[in-house]
Amino acid sequence: MTAIALDHVMHRYGETVALRDLSLTVAEGEVFSLLGHNGAGKTTTVRIVNGLLEPASGTVRVFGQSPLTDGSAVRRRTAVLTESPTLDERLTARETLRAFAEMYDVRAADVAPRVESLLAEFGLSERGDDRVGGFSRGMKQRLSLARALVHDPDLLFLDEPTAGLDPSATQQLHQTVREMARTRGRTVVLCTHNLVEAQALSDRVAVLGGGELLALGTPTELARRLAPRLEVSLEVDPARQADAMALVASLDGLSVSAERSGVIRVGGIPRDRVPDLASRIVGAGIPLFRLEPHEPSLTDAYFALQQGRGAPA
Amino acid sequence: MNWRIVAAIVRKDLRVVRRSRALMTPLIVLPVLLMIVFPTVFTFLPRMMGGAREAFAEMFRNLPDPVRRSFGEFTEATWIRVVHSQMLAPLMLLVPFMVANVIAADGFAGERERKTLEPLLYTPATDAELFVAKLLAAWIPAVMIAFGGAFVYAVIVNVTAWPVMQRVFFPDTTWVVMILWMAPAFAALGLAGMLLVSLRVRGMQEATQLGGLFVLPVIALVVGEVRGAILLGPWMAIATGLLVWVIAGVLLLFGVRRFRRTTLVGKL
Repeated sequence: MTAIALDHVMHRYGETVALRDLSLTVAEGEVFSLLGHNGAGKTTTVRIVNGLLEPASGTVRVFGQSPLTDGSAVRRRTAVLTESPTLDERLTARETLRAFAEMYDVRAADVAPRVESLLAEFGLSERGDDRVGGFSRGMKQRLSLARALVHDPDLLFLDEPTAGLDPSATQQLHQTVREMARTRGRTVVLCTHNLVEAQALSDRVAVLGGGELLALGTPTELARRLAPRLEVSLEVDPARQADAMALVASLDGLSVSAERSGVIRVGGIPRDRVPDLASRIVGAGIPLFRLEPHEPSLTDAYFALQQGRGAPA
Repeated sequence: MNWRIVAAIVRKDLRVVRRSRALMTPLIVLPVLLMIVFPTVFTFLPRMMGGAREAFAEMFRNLPDPVRRSFGEFTEATWIRVVHSQMLAPLMLLVPFMVANVIAADGFAGERERKTLEPLLYTPATDAELFVAKLLAAWIPAVMIAFGGAFVYAVIVNVTAWPVMQRVFFPDTTWVVMILWMAPAFAALGLAGMLLVSLRVRGMQEATQLGGLFVLPVIALVVGEVRGAILLGPWMAIATGLLVWVIAGVLLLFGVRRFRRTTLVGKL
């Protein structure tokens, strides 16, 4: 079933077009990433999907409902972790979670156990009665995530979720995302600049730029489509390394550098030319011990896409 | 209307207000000054200071005839009645107005300034539930403080004036009407004014400066009473209260039309 369906959605802030004819769907249970520079339209999309903004045109459905006419029902099933921890510093952690559990209409009998379990899960039990104003940035971010999960949402939006988190908290968040999607079938939408994180967590990725959908697919698909040239490491007889480098340099469009003794790195080679490269080296009598292709990453694809649009990479 | 959600927002807002020294200071100082210090001082003053009696007699003589006639000859008992029924009475209305005004400023503009409004907008609360919760969070404490303060005021006046009056003489009918009918109306006016201002400005400081302008009708009433230009009898109090309710209602109607998520999010 479809969690989110955007169909030809447009939105403007005054004269500025924030979203231009955006159409995409997110399936239930999917981890989906929205990538893009600042101002690409990620936050606007999240706000439209949650009924905080009304699109100028186009239709939006969340679990089959309209966020504009059924906003309350939609928001009961969604949660948003905003980029900065928007917590009331005069409340304690426990009061914050309790207040939001009640605002999300969690059953009265379930509120206290849910709050305690989240405080424990995010390592905040001992500081539960301390005011949020005294928390570190990482603790605030963990409390914000706990707040977003207080009603066990079906659809979770995470806006730059690991900004300001230490590595262990980042790892915990990644585990939470995986557990939500894989074990419990929840849908997660990541809005991020962190391409490594997006590649590691996402089933599919949408790249936005200037309010337009620039690319959509799995990280591997996008990488292959948008950055089709590979880098390849070749291990050859160290005594013939110079010959191997000269041979590669004579081939059109390839770059070559010495990685270490006996290992050279070939750049910019299309996938379908890799066998030809290997046969030429072997054909020249240069002993080839190992060939290791390096798949392009989502980061390569993203920057290839942005450079293609003339945007600063 | 999901009242559980409304109650959760009200409780959260009141907890946040209670924990702010900057907000609690005026919320404590003003009621204590107007509802404890003033009645005590003005009841004792003519007895404690010889010269004060003549000054107050002169002030009494300068009141317009109809007002003066309604109180009779100048005696210490007359003075006590004039002070509490005529001069200090409208000052009581400042309390619900200011309390509602200050809490509403924190609930609307303050919440936006602290960036805590956005998570509220993402909750299932409807626009109407958010609106009602924000109104009640400001109105209920304002009215409770007005009622509680009025009770304390009445006790203080009767106790301090006992040597002169020898009976429980306060509150009179006008005062009861003023507290039960006009005080809630002025609380509504205070928060309605602040709501309208908060929807247009970004910061708490701007909101309190502009929202404070709505206190002018109360000040006019106070000055009118002290100078004797207005004699606030029970019917006049009912009529004035009705007028304030109508004005507050109209302002709230303007406010509710603009209080939409889609509008509020533009100010984040």
